[in-house]
Amino acid sequence: MEQFRSNAHRWGRISLGLGILISFALPIYISFAMGYHPGFQMILSSLLTYGAVIGIVWFLEPIMYFPVLGVSGTYVAFFTGNISNMCLPAVASCQDAVGVAPGTDKGEVVGALGISAASLVNKIILIPVILAGLWLLTVIPESVQEVFPYVLPAIFGAVLAQFASKTPVYGLLALIIGILVNMAAIPLFAKNVLCIVILVAIMLFADSRKNKKYQNA
Amino acid sequence: MAGMELANSPVVWLFASVIIILVLLQAVKFLTMSRKAANEVGLSRKDTNRAIKTGIITAIGPSVGIIIVAVSLISLIGNPLTMMRIGVIGSAPIESMGAQLSAETAGVSLSGEGLSPEVFNLIVWTLCIGGAGWMIFCFFATASLSKIQTKLTETSKGEYLLGVIASGAMIAVFGSLIGGEMLKGSPYIFTGVVAMLSSLIINYISDKKEIMWLKEWSLGFSILISLTAVYFFI
Repeated sequence: MEQFRSNAHRWGRISLGLGILISFALPIYISFAMGYHPGFQMILSSLLTYGAVIGIVWFLEPIMYFPVLGVSGTYVAFFTGNISNMCLPAVASCQDAVGVAPGTDKGEVVGALGISAASLVNKIILIPVILAGLWLLTVIPESVQEVFPYVLPAIFGAVLAQFASKTPVYGLLALIIGILVNMAAIPLFAKNVLCIVILVAIMLFADSRKNKKYQNA
Repeated sequence: MAGMELANSPVVWLFASVIIILVLLQAVKFLTMSRKAANEVGLSRKDTNRAIKTGIITAIGPSVGIIIVAVSLISLIGNPLTMMRIGVIGSAPIESMGAQLSAETAGVSLSGEGLSPEVFNLIVWTLCIGGAGWMIFCFFATASLSKIQTKLTETSKGEYLLGVIASGAMIAVFGSLIGGEMLKGSPYIFTGVVAMLSSLIINYISDKKEIMWLKEWSLGFSILISLTAVYFFI
C-alpha cells in the first residue's frame, strides 16, 4: 500500500504538473506568439471576478472529498473533472458492489479502480460528442433533450439512496439537512461543507450516546 | 480574424488534444497501478474486475448527461476549448459561468458579435487558469492531506473518526446536492424521489437474491428509470 501511495504521488504530480503547464501555455501562446493579447489588467480583473466566485472551492473540494477519494482518487478526480456527478458516484457504487468500506486501504484501491475506469469512459464518450458538436442537437429529438436537465437529480437521488440503505435514518436526515441548508441564504460553496459538518456532528453524537448506553448496561 | 475563427483554429485544437491525451494516459496509468495494488491488499481478481466494471457502467449516465451543456458551450467558445474545459477538471456549469464572466469583463456579450480574438483569449486565460486552481492545490496539498490521514489512523480513535467522516461526508454531500436540485421544482422532486426508490429497490433485490451483476448496474438503471418516468411526467 505504501508503494502504491508513493507511486500515486509520483504519477499524480507528473500528470497534474503537465496539465498545469498546458493550461498556462495555451493563453500565453495566443497572447504572445499569435499577438491577441487582451492586456494584463483585463486578465487580472477577469480572474479576480472568477476567483471571487470559484476560488474557495479550489481548496475546499480537495480537502472535503479527500477522506472519500484517497490519494490516487484525488489525483485522478481533480484532473478528469466531473467530481460530484461522476467521480464520487463511481467510488460509491464500486465500494458498494465489492463490499468494502470507504476510508480503508481496500476501499481506496477499489475507488481508484472505479474512478480511473470512469475517467476513461467519460473521455471516450465526450470526444465524439465534441467532434460531432452542434450537429448532435439536430439529431436528438427535442422531447428527449427536455429530460437532460433531470439527469443531475437522478444521479444524486440514486447515490444518496445507495448509501442510505445501510443507515436509512442518516440518509433521511441528510436529505432534510440538505433541503434546509439549500433554502438558507448561504453562499454556494459553504452549503456542502455545512451539510457535512452538521451530519458528521450528529453521527458522532449519536454514536457516543450509544456507546455510553452499552457501558452503563 | 474573428474570435470564433481563432476558437476553432488548429493551435487551440493542438493544445486541447494534448491535455485530453494526458488525462487518458493518467487514467490508464492509475488503472494499472491500482490493479497491482489490489493484489497486495488482498482483493480477488473477481472483485478487481467488478470494481472496474462498475466504474465503467457508472460513468455512462453522467457522461451522457453533460452532452447538452457541452454542446451548448460549443456554440459559445468553440469545439476545442469546450473539449479542453469539460474534459479536464471543471464542470459544464462552471465553465459557462466563467466564460460569461470574462466576456462581461471585456464589456461584450458572449453570444454576440463582439467576440474578438482578444476577448476569446481572455476567456481562455480565465477558464484555463481557473481550472488550474484545483490542479495546483492538489499538486501541492495531496501529500500533506495523506500525511494527516495516516497520522489520524494511527490511533483507533482516529481511525474510527475518519471512518465516520468518510461515510458521513458522502451522505451529507449528496443530501445537499439532491436538496438543492429538489428546490428547483416539482419535476426535479419527482425525478429525485423515483431515483431514490429505484436505487433502494434494486439494491434490496440484489442483496436479497444475491444478484451481484445487478449491483453493478444499480446506478445506471436508477438513472434510466427515473429519466423515463420524468419523460412521461413533464
